[in-house]
Formats: sequence, C-alpha cells, structure tokens
Amino acid sequence: MDYIAQLVLIAVGAAVINNFVLIYFVGICPFIGVSRRVDMAFGMGCAVTFVISIAGALSWFFTYYFLRASAPWATAIYHLCGGSGQSDLTILTYIVYIFVIASSVQLVEMYVRKFFPPLYKSFGVFLPLITTNCAILFACLEIMKNVAVPANTDPSQIWGLGESLTLAFFGGIGFTIAIVIMAGIREELDLCDVPKPLRGPGITLLIAGILAMAFMGFSGVNGSLDSMLKSAENNQPETTQPKQQVDDRQVDK
Amino acid sequence: MTWIIIAMAAGVMLALALIMTFVLGWANEAFHVAIDPRIEKVNEALPGANCGGCGYVGCGEYAEAVVLGEGKVPLDICPVGGEGVATAIAEILGMTLEKSYPYRPVVHCAAHTNDRLGRHEYRGEQTCATANLVAGVQGCIYGCLTLGDCVESCKFDAIHLIDGKITVDYEKCVGCGACEKVCPRKVISMVPFKDEQMFVLACSNQDFGKDVKSVCKIGCIGCKVCEKLSNGLFAMRGNLPHIDYDNYNPEGVDTLMDAVLDKCPAKSIVKIGKPSSADIEAVAGEDVPDIVKAKFETTVDKTEWHG
Repeated sequence: MDYIAQLVLIAVGAAVINNFVLIYFVGICPFIGVSRRVDMAFGMGCAVTFVISIAGALSWFFTYYFLRASAPWATAIYHLCGGSGQSDLTILTYIVYIFVIASSVQLVEMYVRKFFPPLYKSFGVFLPLITTNCAILFACLEIMKNVAVPANTDPSQIWGLGESLTLAFFGGIGFTIAIVIMAGIREELDLCDVPKPLRGPGITLLIAGILAMAFMGFSGVNGSLDSMLKSAENNQPETTQPKQQVDDRQVDK
Repeated sequence: MTWIIIAMAAGVMLALALIMTFVLGWANEAFHVAIDPRIEKVNEALPGANCGGCGYVGCGEYAEAVVLGEGKVPLDICPVGGEGVATAIAEILGMTLEKSYPYRPVVHCAAHTNDRLGRHEYRGEQTCATANLVAGVQGCIYGCLTLGDCVESCKFDAIHLIDGKITVDYEKCVGCGACEKVCPRKVISMVPFKDEQMFVLACSNQDFGKDVKSVCKIGCIGCKVCEKLSNGLFAMRGNLPHIDYDNYNPEGVDTLMDAVLDKCPAKSIVKIGKPSSADIEAVAGEDVPDIVKAKFETTVDKTEWHG
C-alpha cells in the first residue's frame, strides 16, 4: 500500500500540485501555440502525454541500467573490460535524453500522420516542436534526479519504472489539463474586446499568469494528501515522517 | 576518466543509434503515407510566404489543390510568385500555361470633391460601411463615399484618397483584392490588365440622364453613344456601358476609343494604369496634391468593436 500511496502522491503532484506548465513554466511553446481551439489542444495534450511517457520510460531504463553511478549493466561491462571501481556515465544523461525524445517524437509524428491526417495538418510545425519541448526533458531530468543518486544513498529511495512512468504520464496529464483550460478560455476570448496590442500571445500570457496563480492554491494539498495517505517514505521535501509508525516499531521490539 | 569509460560512453551512444535506426526504419515502412511527389516539388517552387493571396490557407494547401485538382485550379494565382512561379508549376505538372494577366482593382467612380453634388456633412462613424446605411450623405447613391474603407484595408499602401477621388497606385498594387471585398457599394472591381494602361468606365450610376446630372457633374448619363461607336467593345447593361475585357485587344484600342472619347458627353471613360514615361514627364513640374483625410475624427473613431 505504501507503494501505491507513493504513486498516488507522485501522480497528483505531477499533474496538479507541481503542474509542469503552470508552476514550472516548461512547455510554453505548444501551450500558447496550439491552445486556440479545444479539440486541437486536447490532441496536442494527448500527443505530449504519449511522447512524455515513452521518453520517461526509456530514459529511466537507460539511466538505471547504464548511466548512473554504479549502474548494474554498465558496471558489469566495465569490470569485464578490466576497470576497477564503479562506472559513472552520468555525463551522457542529457545527450541520451534528447536522443530518446527526438526518436519518440519522430515515431509519434509518423503515427499521427498515418492515422489522424487532419490532426497532423492542424498541428503543423508544433508536432516536431515537441522535440525541443522543455516539458519532456524536464520530466526526464526529474526522473534522473531520483534515479542517478550518489552511490551511498539508500537503494529503496531510487525510483523504479513504476514511479518514473507515473511521473511522466501524469506530468503529461497535467499539461493536457492546463492546455485544455487555456483553450476553453481562449475560445471565449474570441468574442471579447481585447485591446489590439494584446491580441494573440499577449493576452494568452497574461491569462496564463493568472491561471498559474490559481494553481498555486494547490500547493497546500501536498502536506495534507501526504498525511492522509500515511506514507512513511516519500520524496516530497516538505513532509515529515509520521511519528506513529516509528513508535510502533520501537514498542514491538 | 579512463579509456574504458570513454569507450563505454561511445559504445552506449552507438548502441542507441543502431537500435533507433532499426526502430525508426521499421516505423517508416509501417506508417508510410503515400503522397504524390509532385506536391513536394510544387511546394518547393512556391515562394513559401503563406500570405493567403491565392485564396488558400498557405502555400502547402495551394500546392495540394493544384496537383490534385487537375486543371480546375488555376496555376497562376500566386500574387507573390507571379509569372515565374506559374511557369515552374506548369512545368512540374506537365501542363501548358495560358497567357494570363494580372488582375488589378479599378475604381468605378471618377468624381472629385467638386463634382459630387448633394453632399452633406456626415458626422457619424467615418467608415463607408456605416455611411452606406444612412441616407443623405451623398447625392449619388451608387458611387464612392470617399470615407476610405478601401484605403484602410490595403496592406500595400497602394490606394489613396486624393482630392475626393479614390486613386489606385498601380506600381504598388499586388492584386490581392482586399479593397474589392471591403467596398460596401461594390464600386471597385478586379479587371485583368492586358496592358500597362486600360480603358475603364469610371462611373457606377445606374440612373439615366437628368437624374445623374443632378447628383454628379461627370457621371455617365446612359446615352448609348459609346455602344454605337465602339464596334462591340461596349455593351449596355441597363444604363451603364460594360466593357468586355475578354475581347479587349490592347493593340487597336487607342484608335477605337478616339471616336468614343470624342463623343462621350460625361467624360466617364478614362484610361488608367501605371504611368507611362510620357505621363511622368508631363507632370514633372507640378505640385502633387495632398492625401485628404476626414476632418471630423474622435478618439474612438478607429476602434474596432467586437461583439
């Protein structure tokens, strides 16, 4: 149950409390560029979620087994070639992530072009722009932060595939929520009297700022959700370990 | 940083590259979409400005329409690319290009401020669209209102109000058609310019004789003299002569029109277009008239209200 609780925390954290677009301000390019209509925005949200999940899973795989300090497969190869000590390939993380993201975006582009031609046309240049989208790299780096930890930390703290995939997928869901809300607002804005200098990206950025302030209201949910789920170990910095469980253990002994 | 680590780093990147090559290669075959290769070629030949002047959303849309709509879509409607692009497209598609002429706007109203009779001071919203809904702004209910909706709509600074008459600058005009779309009285029409200068009828008044003279000093009174003397070039439609531009031959038209211009009582048939070198020399010493702006303006006059 602790595992599920941690997954729920990560999921809600990535989607709502620490929304990628509105709190960390990554992935703003498609957020402003594709949020004119709700159907296009939803399509872009789904594409980003798909890419971010694939990229997140692949980057976890490569980081866990190859790139981090004392990664099992890399260390094995290292010892095989006669090296001593641990292998540490963390210098490759950025390049490998960008490589993986670019390939997954290419795959998604081909898929969308074959099976959803009108969506492909309406995205235009924004679909390949997902490649340089900071939101995806941000998810991969968040995963790296929790996987490529220094060699002397507790192994149970290192994220497995479950946690990484949850963070990536729900980060994409959070992006979708934000972009669909913005699309809904922008569709209404078409009928409003917006001053000429602010039309288009100007008013969108202003509204994004106000939306970000609204989403900041979720930051208190973190602590109460945590204590509600009563998880003993989690990676959120603001939480405190509930004292009950520690006391129980001591009493048992 | 031992050599083994460096070799391993290189090995990881190579392995990744190999795996992804095969995956993407498979995906390319599995998700292949067959498109006509000519669309790509036409797309490359187009200027890529995505201006919308052809009537399609962007250059990509026009390329698709031209290749897939064999023969039905005209090859030469790109205003930015012009003839060069039209020839290139014709080559790619293996079609012959008929000689085509640029379409330019013609203002069918030649009255200056003094020629317009029955004009009262209009203090409403200073746009033609609004003034058109109100009675009594001008005597002639068919002609140009001179409030400049077309001037506002032109993105190329090619149409101006000079001395109460709307004048097109044919050097700057690209033929996008925005002025024609915006005129509420349909005084502007797009005409194929087979020559640098063309004869046009500069009047839109559909009334006859005395009724025209009471509202405009130079309006066409519908006397039908041009139809008799022009050998088929003019055809009367109601009280206004209509020039058939498909049969307009720039070669012999000057001599043909000499007789007509001589007899036309209203001076509504004019020759307009790009100024020839003779014209420019003729006015070399004169002052250029200023562009007239409406005198009565408030701070909210140019606001566009939405909903």
